Amino acid sequence: MGKFENKYILITGASKGIGFTLAENLDNLGAKLILHASTDAGMNKLTDSFANKGHLLFKADFSDPLSLEEAWQSQINQDIKLDGFVNCVGLRSRRPLTLLKPAHVMQILHANVASFIEMCRLICRKNGFNPGLSIITISSIAAHSGGPGVTAYAASKAATEAAVRCLAKELFKKEIRVNSLVCGQVNTSAYADLMETKSDATDTILERQYLGLGSTQNITNILLFLLGGESCFITGSAIPADGGYLS
Amino acid sequence: MTNEEKVALIEETLDIENGSLRPETELSSVAEFDSMAKLSLIVLCDENFNKKLTGEQIRAFVTVGDILEFLG
Repeated sequence: MGKFENKYILITGASKGIGFTLAENLDNLGAKLILHASTDAGMNKLTDSFANKGHLLFKADFSDPLSLEEAWQSQINQDIKLDGFVNCVGLRSRRPLTLLKPAHVMQILHANVASFIEMCRLICRKNGFNPGLSIITISSIAAHSGGPGVTAYAASKAATEAAVRCLAKELFKKEIRVNSLVCGQVNTSAYADLMETKSDATDTILERQYLGLGSTQNITNILLFLLGGESCFITGSAIPADGGYLS
Repeated sequence: MTNEEKVALIEETLDIENGSLRPETELSSVAEFDSMAKLSLIVLCDENFNKKLTGEQIRAFVTVGDILEFLG
């Protein structure tokens, strides 16, 4: 019996990076997964990787939070009761203020903030979850330290962490815990994209992140702990998983 | 788009005075061409020209003309 045998866990942004590694781990541990991707390419990857394993797929466009309710209700059996929800969707944004127009800012806030809150609303309704439901959203050191050009992204992550604190206090009576995991630099395709577009070849963040570049497995290990009952006394927190960056 | 229009767009993106750049201008002499300006250039190429500009390519630019050549 795996540790998460027959536990229903929703992973949004599951087709790559941290979400994908988490899905592989939870699959091995016996969980029943609802795996989300925004694009056809992401859905194809999930189908190829997790075919015939009894997991459910969920396609929804997180840059359009208004579309999520219909997508969720039409694609996912509403009798399923969730035990975990890990939100790994995080639209990246690097642009200076001169090019930071409202349409772009709203796109980032929609995907990273409004859609996370909307998914919480959709699953935290009666009969939508089991007591002990653990919700975790991936945050970033950008929410705490910031940097030039990262305004929209950092604002979205800080907003999500603020939402988490409120949701934790609102939902504890339903035996739901809500936390953010504040990640440092992690070796994902998004990180590779970042390094490719950086004008200088070095990553100055890693000078402060003295444990070095994180792996998606490093982050997954902490997510598994936060999903499980061992972490039952932790809620409303923004927990650093940053290789020492914020210390 | 003519070269003059492209130069004007680069000036606007980098928040530099109109008419201050010429194709032969060396980027190392432009004080405003810092890391944020380079990031702006990446966004400009992506949004206005649908071209992906990498950090490595930016580091290879010597003059404004090199940027114009990249924009095509």
